[in-house]
Amino acid sequence: MRTDFGYFEEKQLGKPYDMKMLKRLYPFTRPYRLLVSGSIMLVVLIAFLDLSLPYVTKMAIDRYIVPQSASDMADASGSEIRNLKVNVLEPETREIISRYPDIFQISGQEAVIELKNLSQLSKNDLTELRKKDFNGLNIITAVFICIIIFSFVFNFLQVILMEYTGQMIMHDLRMRLFKHIQELSVSFFTKNPVGRLVTRTTNDIQNMHDLFTSVISFVFKDLFLLTGITLALLWINWKLALVSFSVLPFVVFASMYFSTSARDAFRTLRIKIAEINTRFAETIEGIKILQIFLHERENYLSFKKLNHEHYMASMQQIHVFAIFMPVIELLGSIALAVVIYYGGGSMLAGKISLGSLVAFISYLKMFFRPIRDIAEKYNILQNAMASAERIFLILDNQEKIQQPVADSGYKTPDLKKIQNIVMENVSFGYTEDEPVLKNISLEIHAGETIAIVGRTGSGKTSLINLILRFYDPTSGKITINGINIKDFELSSLRSKTAMIMQDPFLFSGTILDNIIQGQNNISRQNMEFILEASNCKKIIERLPDGLNTLLYEGGTSLSSGERQLISMARAFARNPDLIILDEATSYVDSETEEKVRQALYSLIKKRTSIIVAHRLSTVRHADRIMVINKGRIIETGTHDELMKKKGFYFKLNQLQLS
Amino acid sequence: MKSLYLIKPYFVKNRNIILFGLFCLIVVDMLQLFIPRIIKWAVDDLTLFQINLKQLLYYALYIVGVSVIIGFFRYGWRRCLIGMSRSVEQGLRNSLLDHIQTLSASYFDKVKTGDLMAHATNDIQHIRMAMGMGMVALTDAIVLGSASICFMLYINKLLTLYVLIPMPVIVLGTRFLSKKMHRLYQEVQGSFADLTEAVRERFAGIRIIKAYNLEKQEASRINTISKNYINKNLRLVKNTGSFFPMLLFFSNISLAIVLFLGGRQTITLAITPGDFVAFISYLGLLTWPMMAMGWVINLIQRGRASLDRINNILSMKPEIDDATDAKSIKQIKNNIIFENVSFSYADNTLALSDIDIKLKRGAVLGIIGPQGSGKTTLLNLIPRLFDVSSGQILINGINISRILLRDLRSLISFMPQEPFLFAGSIKQNIMLGTAETKDSQLISAAEKAALYDTVRLFPKGFDTIVGEKGIVLSGGQKQRIALARTLMHDRPIMILDDPVSQVDMETGNLIIKTVKSMAGEKTVIIVSHRLSAVRFADLIISLDKGRIVESGTHEHLMENNRYYAKTFRLQEIEEEFNAN
Repeated sequence: MRTDFGYFEEKQLGKPYDMKMLKRLYPFTRPYRLLVSGSIMLVVLIAFLDLSLPYVTKMAIDRYIVPQSASDMADASGSEIRNLKVNVLEPETREIISRYPDIFQISGQEAVIELKNLSQLSKNDLTELRKKDFNGLNIITAVFICIIIFSFVFNFLQVILMEYTGQMIMHDLRMRLFKHIQELSVSFFTKNPVGRLVTRTTNDIQNMHDLFTSVISFVFKDLFLLTGITLALLWINWKLALVSFSVLPFVVFASMYFSTSARDAFRTLRIKIAEINTRFAETIEGIKILQIFLHERENYLSFKKLNHEHYMASMQQIHVFAIFMPVIELLGSIALAVVIYYGGGSMLAGKISLGSLVAFISYLKMFFRPIRDIAEKYNILQNAMASAERIFLILDNQEKIQQPVADSGYKTPDLKKIQNIVMENVSFGYTEDEPVLKNISLEIHAGETIAIVGRTGSGKTSLINLILRFYDPTSGKITINGINIKDFELSSLRSKTAMIMQDPFLFSGTILDNIIQGQNNISRQNMEFILEASNCKKIIERLPDGLNTLLYEGGTSLSSGERQLISMARAFARNPDLIILDEATSYVDSETEEKVRQALYSLIKKRTSIIVAHRLSTVRHADRIMVINKGRIIETGTHDELMKKKGFYFKLNQLQLS
Repeated sequence: MKSLYLIKPYFVKNRNIILFGLFCLIVVDMLQLFIPRIIKWAVDDLTLFQINLKQLLYYALYIVGVSVIIGFFRYGWRRCLIGMSRSVEQGLRNSLLDHIQTLSASYFDKVKTGDLMAHATNDIQHIRMAMGMGMVALTDAIVLGSASICFMLYINKLLTLYVLIPMPVIVLGTRFLSKKMHRLYQEVQGSFADLTEAVRERFAGIRIIKAYNLEKQEASRINTISKNYINKNLRLVKNTGSFFPMLLFFSNISLAIVLFLGGRQTITLAITPGDFVAFISYLGLLTWPMMAMGWVINLIQRGRASLDRINNILSMKPEIDDATDAKSIKQIKNNIIFENVSFSYADNTLALSDIDIKLKRGAVLGIIGPQGSGKTTLLNLIPRLFDVSSGQILINGINISRILLRDLRSLISFMPQEPFLFAGSIKQNIMLGTAETKDSQLISAAEKAALYDTVRLFPKGFDTIVGEKGIVLSGGQKQRIALARTLMHDRPIMILDDPVSQVDMETGNLIIKTVKSMAGEKTVIIVSHRLSAVRFADLIISLDKGRIVESGTHEHLMENNRYYAKTFRLQEIEEEFNAN
């Protein structure tokens, strides 16, 4: 029923999965161990009921339908004859016997009749004679029906219980993963595309659904069934049981051989389908390019090749299954043949009853069902383990910004109001051998507006990333009010700052939600002020639902400029000490741009602000301009000072003119 | 059922394989029915002690022999029938991709990538299941079911009728529940999509979440959505959970009937003990077809619905296609002319109206205007990504809707606004659609796009892998790769949609210089928000709300003193102010 949309899977060929993964998953089941054990108990009960059905049938046959007689005796030819024993003390029985004196042999209180002679009796007499058997059959049928009703109820309960447990385990795992990913540092997100991370938190966890809901409990069921059947067979007749087990080594060998080849087939298949999905998604997203560059044919051909590889892999998988399934069935039939021959022989020798033989045959069939299902379970397990491996890969990733540890001896400092920000000899690089910032030292005072200017790739954005602690410097330190920012709780540091990004990211939800971001204590008056100051008033008035307008993917009626304004309102709502702005590089239309600029000025007024400027017009209002080139601050000063200097800043201005 | 024509060719092409597969399947079924017969004989003989060890051995050997034959035929049907479903899967997937590539841009505006992906994965999988396991289970159910019933009838008619009482209940119950389950399943899928989207959004906006300390709040939102998903699942399972136990229950009821009535009949000698045991065996064989019928109906219905959906896509005619009287042109001889061109999108928003442009061969056209004024739309009309709603565009005096699409597009090198890169190397991305393999050309295109110096710094140079599994590129780098890709194609018309929007001033100037140098030999159409990028154009048009509000050369427009002049001065003042 469930399908996998996981089209963001990695290409890599995973290792075979061992018990390690299961071991790591185990702790997630621990909070639910009561439910899990309850469900396992139910499963065992169900298995027990399943097992009892053939036994009940056996009892019906042996006791009532084809009763065993202790006085079966050999006839003249030496082969045995099956007899029915009746009680002569009952008057009705005596009457019947007297009517057919030839075929009854009376000895003491018992009379015996050969089974094949029963047909000579009239129907009424026969019914009368076997009254007790009818009653017994009634009781046994009632027992049988009770068992199947219980089995139905238990089955239902078990499924619900297991689904609930499985879903809760998956929920926990999902939340744990989501929180973990959310805590990881920004560097992790630049390395891992969003699509992949989403697949981990949704599809990969979904892939474990069957593991938690059916495999775990059914493994127990199967194990119990196998042991139960083994014991039942041994109990009915241990010799016959041992003889029929002679096929088991072959079953084990076949299963082991199968699991190896099936694993390879599954893995190739999974990788191929992931590649196909990636290619398909890419074709849709890049369709314009493909069409304009007349690349459709080539794209189709390479897709076709990939698709064919997938087909070949699937044929290999079919081949593996087409061999395994019949082989297991064949082994089952061989066991059956052994039972017929050896068991039949034993019956002839009077060692076992007909009912035992029939029960044996039924149990043997049940014995091979779990083995056949192993194939399916194996598939589920492999899929789940592949997903588990990918999930744990992320959970093992500790790319986090170190938080100060508060304990009894140490209390993390409070950040009240930002007085100054100092960078001392700060160096930083995203990779070890490529420094992006080199020996940066600067000091920012409360209320100042600092503009950072430089070419793309000069390290401007990296600088603001360090202040927000998206990254930590490789050397040197950053202090606020004289305290190293590493000593603050991340949340207390960030609660004093607001960041406005190039791409004004808004969440789906109402505009209001996007502005207040969880602070429900913003007064109406304050809200009015925020909207006014951020130039959002007009936008809100234009929309029929006002602040409650829903924003959702692809459904927004807001231009990028208007989105930028809303992100300004979001910053206003926090009333931060420090504004960090990464100015948008692309031009929006002049009118909106003017509005954005106005909103920005009222936002940075009376606040400390650091602006990564892409346009020199923004820069001229700054209290200080820092020019960064190749990771170093090469010039600092006001606009006029720098223009006089006729240095890099001056040249940059000249360039924009040409 | 009209969609069946899609899979018919596969049936026709593979008919021998299918027939052989079905033959194998039926043989297997028949032989499977034979085994209970052997058991019956053995049991009957044993009951009456009318058998010796040698005969028993024969029976045992019969069973093994039949099983070996069954094994071979099983391999046969699995290979043929399941294999066939895989080949249908392959074929459908190929035609889906092939067809999707022919569809026009307007289609992709309407349809979400996720939905199309769902068709490509789920629907095709459903069709495969219906064709493979569906066909097998259906045949199985019919053959095994009817044969088992026949055998049972042969043993005892009345008993058979009693045993079959639960069967209609099973089939009807399955139908009823499967409809309900389908609806609930859709709800589960819907809430899964909500969950996915919510998670995606949070990861995409991770910087905002971190900068604004929203981690706890967002985690609790995801928690709510995830819980909702659990509830939907539990509702579904309340139905599915009763489904299989119910099937089992009813088939066990049949067994109880055999035990009770069959037992009585055995006692009254209406049937032999062997018959009784065989009856139980046949009932065991019947359980699966009874269960399968419901499942198969479900499977086939789902497959058919999926086939219909795939058919809807495949029968979607590309809005833009070659006209019946389309002409071939290989060169551009004279002007590109827009005559009274208007264009509205599918939702009836008027994007362009009454556009008249006459662009000489080798001339440069600059297009400016505020966002949403129709600049990109106008560019998209030239390679016929969209078709005009009224009016016409002429090249060589021919309406472009009468030019072979392939010919038209091979006259144009186009750089769209969004630089889309495919997973692969930078080289592959730049070389897209060219047969060229010479590195000198690649380097020259990269140099012109101000990309070469950047690429040289990458350890693997042009072989650096980009996209999902590769390195993360900045917007400016992507834009320059897209530009280099456009420059690789030496075509008479070059269209650039805001080519310098994401690069810094200096790099932008380099790129503009490249464009300038091509003027005269190529017809260039360039859209830019940075007016210095269009200043040199032979003709500049300024769009507002889909209309040309002014046009002319830079000098002319400056005199005109409207949008262009105002914006230019604004940008100039900005720059001048900085220069002082």
